[in-house]
Amino acid sequence: MNSLFKAWGQHGHRQIYLHSGRHLLTPRSLLVHSGIARRLHSSPSLGEHDVQSRAGANNTSGISSSHILLLATSILSGIVGFAVASGLESSTSVKGGSSQDQQFGTPGDFKQAIEELRQAFPSSDAVSTDPEDLRTHGFSDYDYRPGRLHSVVFYPASTEDVVRMVKIATKYKMPVIPYSGATSLEGHIRSHAVGGICVDISGMDRILEIHGIPLFFPLDPAPGATIGGMLSTGCSGTNAVRYGTAKAEWFLNATVVLPSGEVIKTRRRSRKSSAGFDTTKLFIGAEGTLGIVTEVTIRLAPLLPTTVAVVQFPDLRKATEAVIEVMNQGVGIQCVEAVDDVFMAATNKFGMSARKWPEKDSLFLKFQGPTQASIQETAKIVKKIVEKHGATGFELARNAKEADDLWADRKNANYSGMALLEGAKGWGTDVCVPVSKLPELVYETKKDLAQIGITSTIVGHVGDGNFHALLLFRNEKEYRIAKEAVHRMVHRAIALDGTCTGEHGVGVGKKKYLVEELGAGTVELMKTIKRAIDPLGLFNPGKLYPDDDETDNKPGV
Amino acid sequence: MVLRLSLQRCLVHPVSALRRHMILTRPASTTPHSTPPGLLRYSPWSKEFLGSLKTRIFLQSAFYAVGIVTAAGLVDSYLFASRTELEEPVLHYASPQGTKLAIEELRATFPRANAVDTDADTLRTYGFSENSYHPASPHSVVVRPTCTSDVVKIVNISRKYRIPITPYSGATSLEGHTSGYPSGSICLDMSGMDQILQINEADSDLVCQSGARWEDINATLKEKGIPLFFPLDPGPGATIGGMIGTGCSGTNAVRYGTARAEWFLNLTAVLPNGEVIKTRRRARKSAAGFDTTKLFIGAEGTLGIVTEVTLRLTPVIPTKVAMAQFPDVEHAVSAVQEILNTPYGPHIQCVELLDDHMMEAINTAGLVDHPYPVEDTLFFKIQGDPTSIKSTSKAVQDIVKKHGSSRFEFASTDQEAEDLWQNRKYALMSTMAANPGTRCWTTDVCVPVSRLPQLVFETKKDLADSGIQSTIVGHVGDGNFHALILFRDDSELQGVSDAVHRLVHRAVALEGTCTGEHGVGVGKKEYLTDELGEGTVELMRVIKRAIDPLNLMNPGKLYPERRKPKAEEFNRPSA
Ligand SMILES: Cc1cc2nc3c(=O)[nH]c(=O)nc-3n(C[C@H](O)[C@H](O)[C@H](O)COP(=O)(O)OP(=O)(O)OC[C@H]3O[C@@H](n4cnc5c(N)ncnc54)[C@H](O)[C@@H]3O)c2cc1C
Ligand SMILES: Cc1cc2nc3c(=O)[nH]c(=O)nc-3n(C[C@H](O)[C@H](O)[C@H](O)COP(=O)(O)OP(=O)(O)OC[C@H]3O[C@@H](n4cnc5c(N)ncnc54)[C@H](O)[C@@H]3O)c2cc1C
Repeated sequence: MNSLFKAWGQHGHRQIYLHSGRHLLTPRSLLVHSGIARRLHSSPSLGEHDVQSRAGANNTSGISSSHILLLATSILSGIVGFAVASGLESSTSVKGGSSQDQQFGTPGDFKQAIEELRQAFPSSDAVSTDPEDLRTHGFSDYDYRPGRLHSVVFYPASTEDVVRMVKIATKYKMPVIPYSGATSLEGHIRSHAVGGICVDISGMDRILEIHGIPLFFPLDPAPGATIGGMLSTGCSGTNAVRYGTAKAEWFLNATVVLPSGEVIKTRRRSRKSSAGFDTTKLFIGAEGTLGIVTEVTIRLAPLLPTTVAVVQFPDLRKATEAVIEVMNQGVGIQCVEAVDDVFMAATNKFGMSARKWPEKDSLFLKFQGPTQASIQETAKIVKKIVEKHGATGFELARNAKEADDLWADRKNANYSGMALLEGAKGWGTDVCVPVSKLPELVYETKKDLAQIGITSTIVGHVGDGNFHALLLFRNEKEYRIAKEAVHRMVHRAIALDGTCTGEHGVGVGKKKYLVEELGAGTVELMKTIKRAIDPLGLFNPGKLYPDDDETDNKPGV
Repeated sequence: MVLRLSLQRCLVHPVSALRRHMILTRPASTTPHSTPPGLLRYSPWSKEFLGSLKTRIFLQSAFYAVGIVTAAGLVDSYLFASRTELEEPVLHYASPQGTKLAIEELRATFPRANAVDTDADTLRTYGFSENSYHPASPHSVVVRPTCTSDVVKIVNISRKYRIPITPYSGATSLEGHTSGYPSGSICLDMSGMDQILQINEADSDLVCQSGARWEDINATLKEKGIPLFFPLDPGPGATIGGMIGTGCSGTNAVRYGTARAEWFLNLTAVLPNGEVIKTRRRARKSAAGFDTTKLFIGAEGTLGIVTEVTLRLTPVIPTKVAMAQFPDVEHAVSAVQEILNTPYGPHIQCVELLDDHMMEAINTAGLVDHPYPVEDTLFFKIQGDPTSIKSTSKAVQDIVKKHGSSRFEFASTDQEAEDLWQNRKYALMSTMAANPGTRCWTTDVCVPVSRLPQLVFETKKDLADSGIQSTIVGHVGDGNFHALILFRDDSELQGVSDAVHRLVHRAVALEGTCTGEHGVGVGKKEYLTDELGEGTVELMRVIKRAIDPLNLMNPGKLYPERRKPKAEEFNRPSA
């Protein structure tokens, strides 16, 4: 089967329409049956059904006999046994994907599963238990949570391969961890404690069909991120202020292997459809917990001429106010990125930049328009507005090369930030609030960081109210201090009607904030859906869904 | 299999065991010397049992306990199994008597005047729609809540008495979405919950109740001098709740996307279990897991009742309206495709196709001062600052000419631009007005833009061959088009219905959809499996069942009836 993803890094910003070759489906309804069964036993909100089935047990007790004592005792113990049994059952399944060991197979089962995988895919490089392979897949350079080895890495080449793997995983109750560009930042692709199959989909990177040409795909997370990972984290990037995020309408449809092994294609190829709620959206941001995405049709946008400007402000509050006014003009803004004075100092120190920047809070703006004339017009309007808000040093790129250079200084954020402190590592954080609340959040956060003596740079997709602080630390102690500061920052963002993650996703790192942010009811709804689709809880267990007792109200735990 | 065997054992064994137990107790005293076979000494039913009486009873009890647990488990799973084998869960909706009781309780809960309405005419009007010709029934009662907690009470009463609820708001939907359920239903009229609660100009968002109309929201913003608007523009009179329900779009979709994009930042919904959730906070974006807001968009009231919503707004941008005539639809569509893929594409806020019949209808309906040319026509709305409008207009003009357009002209005044646009927006009304005494079936399909010419061409030919009169309008930038099919009486209805059927199949075969924006309701259910595949439809049902296990929320809409499952599908998953 000819399916696959685009490896984002390799192709740069080329223009593509990925599109599945064939509509595949296995008309079995395993999914329904298992989903509902588990739910009947476990869901508290289904009280009535629970009661019904227990009532069934009661009725069988109506046999009269002279051995009343015997019967009574046995019925009593029967009921107790039943209750205990259903209690056990619900405690394993309510957690839907949390780490309950009896939910998974034994190490022996896993061994057999690997054996069966090898038999199913005899070609040498599809199934790997090579220690080096396990290590690179189990540990990530992008975050500092403890890594763990997967049991095996599986490299599918087609949707069918994935289906066969899922069947084997289900048979042996082995966790399945989808893995693609591996640029996610919250421990999304960590192995589960019991082990599991790491499904490395990055090899499925073919573009199947292209419809249309002078076009581009506007979602732009990390270099190296793949369509599957981008869909699954619900990513965005610098272009989001103009084009929206992965949750908008860029994914026209997805072909998904469900935990039942069934293959679905969520939609056809028309640009819009009102055929019920869109199941594509279920998988966007699901972090591999509801199925494995194997093919995607993406929508493209026309490629427009752009240019870049940089401008300094007395503080970030003024910068944000200017951005709000600029955005409400409806002029051609493709990106608007805020950076703080420390960031500018880091860029100077990093030394990759051709210029010495004033070390002040600044905005990087990317303008777009159909013609140079219209871009210049936009620049003029923007210049006037930002200067009204106290901006200085407005510098507009004079040509494409200069624009690229200016933009590179923003793009190098991760590396330049590290330059500030010799031998330091960086923790990139990610929260988002309504735009008008951003100055307060940034102000409080900077004050907090200054008090505890943590060095950090700040960059923000300010047009969306999304900002990242890169917290630097050199040792265990500083790491712990940084970690507590991150907790406080997340609570601060949620209190401002914001979110614990604007774009990086939940993974392991943000699970504990979900109830606080979304409310218990919404989280329960998400778990209900997880249970209905993946009743065995095998897909990326331990990620995304908070455990029942997992909330975090104490900063710094 | 294993379970089945153990069931037999449990059912047979306790009885025979009991009998054996009695037999063994009776002759025990008379045959002291007959040594029982050794094994018997280990059976707790044997008199010869080694342990004490207490141990014996304990072991027997334990055995029965296991039996009962297994039996209970099986009863449970059989109950469950029978539920999924059926088309719709085995659910008994309220009897007429139960419905009566429910209405009494509703009246007691909402004593204010007009909150609970059982006037026969009202029930009929609310149960049937002028916009569709699908089978419908009157509702049993219309209830008018004013706040989220009212809705919770109504949902709880519906659950208590097992009466279906149909959310009802602007009632402009076109596929029988709000029709009554045959065994009786509560019509939840949300249109009174129409308050704008909060306008956050700096954040470009607005919080309102779900009954607010999109036109009122935009008028309010204009009145207050706030230069923002909400770009989704379905039928006149539609409300936010209904727009979420159908996953609507409209003429602005080519520039701003549809209800499925990011216009709804969060919503407050009452779930079928009576729980109130708010799906997100107010940040413009969030990667906190899959977005449950999206579940309700296009769910047509089948997963819960939306009561409050935070909308994202966008700046009002100056526009200019223009019109171009083409020799045929194919030329018009290829021009649009080229325009949208140039760097000028983003300045096209709307591009609408009206075919020659539609242009004629507008002329005949007498809505214009001077008649339009009766040709296939594109209406453009170009947006931007004056420089961009100018350069875009120039580019558009060049491209349409290249594609054979004979004329391209701007509306000369704002009033004319407004009128032109109104004429497009009220296409249905003009079509009816131009053909007095007729009725109209509005259709709605969508295909990849490049397939649109073929679809329109074949459809026009089919309609002409069948002697059916119709006008065509299309949101051509999205590949979405509507044929407004006219008919006079019920004798013609069947022919129309057949033609619609052919149209939908044609669209689906072109990798398109049975509905671009109007939704499924009753009318499009039969096409869903064809379009999405059994697997996707089943996934939708799984979610429906998980959220609304009693199937009380707008039953009979959206989800196609299941085909008869094949024998092997009864097998429960082995794992
Ligand atoms: C320097 C840097 C900058 C970044 N900047 C941004 C930014 O600006 N915006 C932004 O949004 N993010 C950013 N990120 C984060 C990251 O790039 C995104 O989260 C990206 O979407 C992850 O894609 P990936 O292919 O690397 O996914 P992976 O890391 O491989 O996986 C991510 C998640 O998706 C699941 N998954 C992967 N493939 C599939 C599949 N085929 N089916 C089902 N589930 C799957 C995985 O199980 C995992 O849970 C940045 C990261 C770095 C290191
Ligand atoms: C002349 C005309 C032109 C039209 N043009 C367009 C167009 O261009 N684009 C387009 O998309 N549509 C169009 N439509 C169709 C219609 O306007 C849309 O479908 C609209 O979204 C329906 O909104 P409503 O408020 O009227 O909803 P209703 O008809 O009241 O309800 C629609 C659905 O949503 C459910 N619902 C309503 N309120 C709630 C709630 N609070 N919570 C949960 N569910 C709820 C209902 O149960 C029903 O299933 C047009 C209709 C007409 C008559």
